[in-house]
Parts: sequence; structure tokens; C-alpha cells
Amino acid sequence: MKDSTINEDDPNLLVIVIDINPFEWEHPSAPLSLNEALQHILAFMNAHLAGRHDNRLAVIASHVGASKFLYPELNGPIPGGRVGTKKDANAYQVFKVVNDAVQSGIAKLLQDPRPALEERDVGSSKIAASLSLGLCYINQALKSDGMGHVRPRILVLTVSPDSSSDYIPIMNCIFSAQKANIPIDVCKIWGKDAVFLQQAAHITEGIYMKPSDPRGLLQILMFSFLPDMYSRNYLYLPGQDQVDFRAACFCHKKIVDIGYVCSVCLSIFCSFSPVCSTCRTKFAFQPLLPSARRLGAKAGASNPGSPRPSTPLPTPS
Amino acid sequence: MATNGRRQVDEDDDDIIDVDDSSLQNNQANYAWEEEYKRSWDVLQEDEHGSLAGVVNSLQQAAKRKRQLRDTDPIQRGIIRHLFIIVDLSSSMQEKDLRPSRLSLTFTYLEAFVAEYFDQNPISQIGLIGTKDGLAEKLTELSGNPTEHIRTLKMKKFQEVGGEPSLQNALELARNSLIHVPAHGSREILVIMGSLTTTDPGNIHDTIAQLVQDNIRASVIALAAEVQVLKSLSTQTKGTFGVAMNEGHYRDLLFEVIPPTAVTTTKTSSNLVQMGFPARSNESAATLCACHNKLTLGGYICPRCNSKLCDIPTECDICTLTLVSSPLLARSYHHLFPVENFIEVAWKDAAATTACFSCQKSFLSPHKVSLQLQATTDAGRYQCKLCDKTFCADCDLFIHDVLHNCPGCLSQPRRLFGKPKAMATANIPKATVQK
Repeated sequence: MKDSTINEDDPNLLVIVIDINPFEWEHPSAPLSLNEALQHILAFMNAHLAGRHDNRLAVIASHVGASKFLYPELNGPIPGGRVGTKKDANAYQVFKVVNDAVQSGIAKLLQDPRPALEERDVGSSKIAASLSLGLCYINQALKSDGMGHVRPRILVLTVSPDSSSDYIPIMNCIFSAQKANIPIDVCKIWGKDAVFLQQAAHITEGIYMKPSDPRGLLQILMFSFLPDMYSRNYLYLPGQDQVDFRAACFCHKKIVDIGYVCSVCLSIFCSFSPVCSTCRTKFAFQPLLPSARRLGAKAGASNPGSPRPSTPLPTPS
Repeated sequence: MATNGRRQVDEDDDDIIDVDDSSLQNNQANYAWEEEYKRSWDVLQEDEHGSLAGVVNSLQQAAKRKRQLRDTDPIQRGIIRHLFIIVDLSSSMQEKDLRPSRLSLTFTYLEAFVAEYFDQNPISQIGLIGTKDGLAEKLTELSGNPTEHIRTLKMKKFQEVGGEPSLQNALELARNSLIHVPAHGSREILVIMGSLTTTDPGNIHDTIAQLVQDNIRASVIALAAEVQVLKSLSTQTKGTFGVAMNEGHYRDLLFEVIPPTAVTTTKTSSNLVQMGFPARSNESAATLCACHNKLTLGGYICPRCNSKLCDIPTECDICTLTLVSSPLLARSYHHLFPVENFIEVAWKDAAATTACFSCQKSFLSPHKVSLQLQATTDAGRYQCKLCDKTFCADCDLFIHDVLHNCPGCLSQPRRLFGKPKAMATANIPKATVQK
């Protein structure tokens, strides 16, 4: 599919969400340490910035129990320990600022154990929060861009499993990204497929990838996620053949084929219950089956031709 | 036919900035042409540097806030909707008081309306009815597929006008289709009327009474003037009524219909609806689909009867099971868990934050803004009550209108804010509504 509105000269804004969940990165079976992966990711960021002089970058860390901008940093009062102020003759200044900000930001987050200890759901990181932050940032960037040429996209690098409580926020993010034509690319570095993010990539027409060998992360990033929005029109990008769009019921988190949906709040249940647990609506005793539905409609229509003479129809006086 | 050529200004719809309070009070009694002329430029006062920037800024902020302070009460909303749009295709639609003409503006707006409607009401349905020469004709059947409606709206054939409209015929046509929809969905009619008269075969008040009895809500947008019969149609069926004053107002009136309406009547029974979540299948050989009887590669397999359908959301043609996908349902969840309105931060508390939490835009420091300017403007900082994070006006608007997530609340450990708290408060007003 070719989008002719995108120009070759358009600057690209890349928002990278890095999942730094220490419970996953420090897991004994982890094939790659966070430090190693970070070297790959920094090289990728530099490559993006090197692509065009006006390419822009934002980096957001998604931690357990917290989500924070790493770059650009909040331009508040600069504490004494800030790095990157000293010029290094051997490094391109733009790269150095980004690399230092990301590395020190992650170190600072990992040193503070509080958010991770307070978090109830320790298995997963705050992907939904990071996506929300990224979308707000993009919204502001598009607004302040007078020419309307900035092409934004989001790249999520994740290792954590999905958190079921994040479902609605992630879905909200997906739909606002879809509305604004922002593709969400997802690289699930290892582990099981992330179902919500898979849907995110599918709905927003982004790329979902799970590398076969995480140690070759840089190669995957460079070849699949670096091409800008213009070049994507001409590339054969990795696609997803099978996306799981089945729903999980709200009561037991079971995947269902045929479910019961509350007509008021659209919560999905796997079996009939008299009261909706989400919105506390009380239901009629039996779920409406299609045959019963048709009869009910006829009775409501006060149709004199309906073959039910035994029950008197409510006639208006 | 009782027609009444009055054109009244709706009390709550004046977009012009009110200067004079007395004119506002008399507003209800006066006709638009009797009102004193509002001089909107009077509010613009220069500050000591001769600059208008501060005032203009505060006016813009006020306009933003006005749009954005919506009710976040999580009342029950009829999310599964069935709506018929009745479009007047009589010769009066050729009038050019709305540019380029009433008819072409209506069709342009309707295309946008259909797209936006299905974006916000993903499992709802729309049908289109046109009325001209005293007859009513169904342009499209009630269906949940936006492309079909938009294609119809683009066809020139349906844009021919002529003769008189027939309100009664159109309402009866819509009613006959709507009474068959299941009781858990809402039944709505939207009438877009350019004509001041209608040609009806019988007594229209009987039809209106029928609509009331069948629990059909009819809203009316009149393009010419307030017509008595249209007004009484909308008031009796608990719909809304509006007269389009200009192009922008017309669009606003039309788009007000899009958010799902709150369920107030106890008549609409809520129920658990059986729905299927089909998986998409990719086949190497083409097979016949159940909906169009055409050979297609791949499709969605109904989980109950295993027939193949081309597209979802739809109703299975074989076993009438409603087929949806889970992202479609998720599209309307934000109506159920709205983000709380943010509170404005006063200038005196403004020094605590230097930049917007979500977009990193730095705020104006209160030390750099003169006290006089502070009195007329607000600080441009908006705070979430739950997480105490501060946002700029742009993000505030974006979060409430588009995103429907508070990034601050999400960025905290889940124990601190938590869904349980939000949902517990959410349930209180609901219970009272139900009683």
C-alpha cells in the first residue's frame, strides 16, 4: 500500500519505548543482558538520528510500577550530577547527549526500588503508560510543527508478558494511534508473544517481530525497524499471518469463541450470570437466544397478525 | 399542516462571546433579530504593553475548557444503537442559505458523520431513508458496515431532489424496520429537514404516538426554521431538536448525536447477548462465502455453524449469531471508564511544576508573568485529581478527547490509584439511575 502524502524529505519522529523490567532482564534464562541490549538499542537510535539531520527521537522507559521520559529530559532545575555537559572530541555531540541521557536515566530508575516494590502486578511493566506518554508527546510535536511534515512512529521493545489489567488502556492507545495514523512497531525480544501488542501492530499497520535469536537484536532493529515512513512504501515488510482476535472473558480470563456480552457495558462473560459484574446491571432471567429474540420483537410491535392469540397483547387505550 | 416560521436561537448554543449580561437574560424572550447587536471586540483590552496576546490567550483557553468539561459520570449508555437517518430530498434542499447548498452540505457532513459514528459506536447500525415527492425511500438498510453507507452517500443518483417531503411516510418506514431490532439495543431516528411543510397520507400525531409507544427516540435538525410538528415529535419521543444557524452550527448539531446517549428509560431491557468471536482463516483455495455467495480466499468462520463470512462485525446469515471481534468491543470501553476532568491550577500554586508531565513542554513560570496578566489569564496547568500530575492545555484536551487514559495515573504503581477505586465510585451514580 503506497501512501503518496508522505514525502521523501519529511523528518521522522521516532518514539522508542524500552521495557526495562528487571525481573525479566535479570532472569537466569535471559539470553541477553540489559547492558548488552542497550548497546544495540543505542546504536540503533544513533542510526535513526544519523539518517536525517532533522530526525527526532524520544525515549521512554517502561519500568515495573513506573514510566518515565529518558530523552528529551525534563528541562527542570539541572541537578549537579547531570552528565553530557562535557564535550568529548571523539563523539558526535548529538549521539553523546542521547546515549548519556538514556543510560543515566535507566540507571537512576533501576536504583530506586520503590515503584517496583509498591506495584501489585510485578510481572509486567507499564507499557500502557509509556504508550500514553508517547502519544501525548507526538500530539504536541505534531501541533508545534507548523509545516505538518513530521512523520511519527512508535517502537516498543519489550520483554515482559502482557498484563491483563492493562487491556483497556492499551486498547485506548491503539485506537488513538490508529486515528492519528501512527504505526506502533513492536519487537518482542524474547518470551511468549505479546497478544495486546500484536493487536496494536496489526490495527495500526505497524510491524510485529519476535527475533529468532535475541543476540542479533541490532540486526533486527536495523533491517526491520529503521526504514522511515517513506521507504516503507517500497519495502516488503515482515507481516503477521495469524493474529488472535478472540476475546478473553472478564470473569475467568478464559479465551472464548462464543461469549455472553452485557448489552450495557459490553463486558464479555463465558457463562450466564444474573448480574453484570462490571456495571452491576441486573439481567433478565434467560439470555436472549435468536429465536426468543424474534418472538419478543413481534410482541413489542403489537402486530395483529402474529400467531399468538392466547396471550392478550398490550393495546394502547 | 401546522407550520410555524419561527427561528429561535437556542439558549445554550451561542458561540459568540457574551459581552452584555442583560442581553443574555433577555435572550430567551427575544427573537434573534430583536437582540441587541453583540460587539464581540469589546472584550479585547490591551494590556500595559499594548499587546493583545494575553487576552486572546485566555479566551482561547476558555473556549478549550468549555468544550472539554463534559460529564464524566459513568451512567449507563446505550452502546448498541440502531439509528435511521431521514434525509429530506425535497426541492427546498436546493436553497443556498447554507453553502454550497443545503443538500450538498448535508451529504458532505453525513459522510463524515457515518465514519465518526462507527468509530465511536462500533457495534451499532445505521440506515438511511430519503423522502421526496411525498414518498419515502430506503437508501440503505440498517447495517453496521460504514463503507456501504458512504458509497451510497456518494452516488449522484440519490442526490436528486424534487417535490415535497413526507415526514409520516419516512417515520413509518423507519419504525417498521426499527421495531424488529432486539430490545437491548436503542432505537433512534434522526430527521434532517429542510422543508417547512410535509405531505402526509394520514394523521402524523398517530405516528408520533406509535413511536413513543415503541420506545423510539427521534431527534430533529431543521435547516430552515423551527416547525411545530418537528418540535413536538422530538419532545414527545425525548429526542433533541435544533435549528442550524450556520454551517458550523449544523455540523455541531449533527455530531452531538454521535456519543451514545444515556439510558434513562427503564423500558429498554438490558440483557446478556450471545456473540461469537470468529477467527480469521487463510485458505489456499477459494470457497464460497455465506454472505455474498462468492468465491473468496479466507474469511471469518462462524464459531457456531462454521459458515464463512467475508467481514465482521455482522450477523451470521445462517445462524443469526452476532459476530464481532474483541478490538471492536474495546473501542467503546472508554465510554464506561471516562477520565476524570482535570482541575485548573491557580497561578499561586503554579511554581510547583515546570513542565507538562506527558509532553515535556515547559510551562510559563509565574515569576515571569506580571501580576496584572495573571489576574486575567489562567496558568495553563491542569492537574489530575487522582495522581496529582500536571498537564498542559493541549494534553488535557488530547487526554480527554482522544486518548481516554491518564498517563499520570498509569505511570504509578497500580496499588496507589487502582481501577477498584475508580470503579467503586463509578458504581454509585449508576445504582441511583437504575432506581
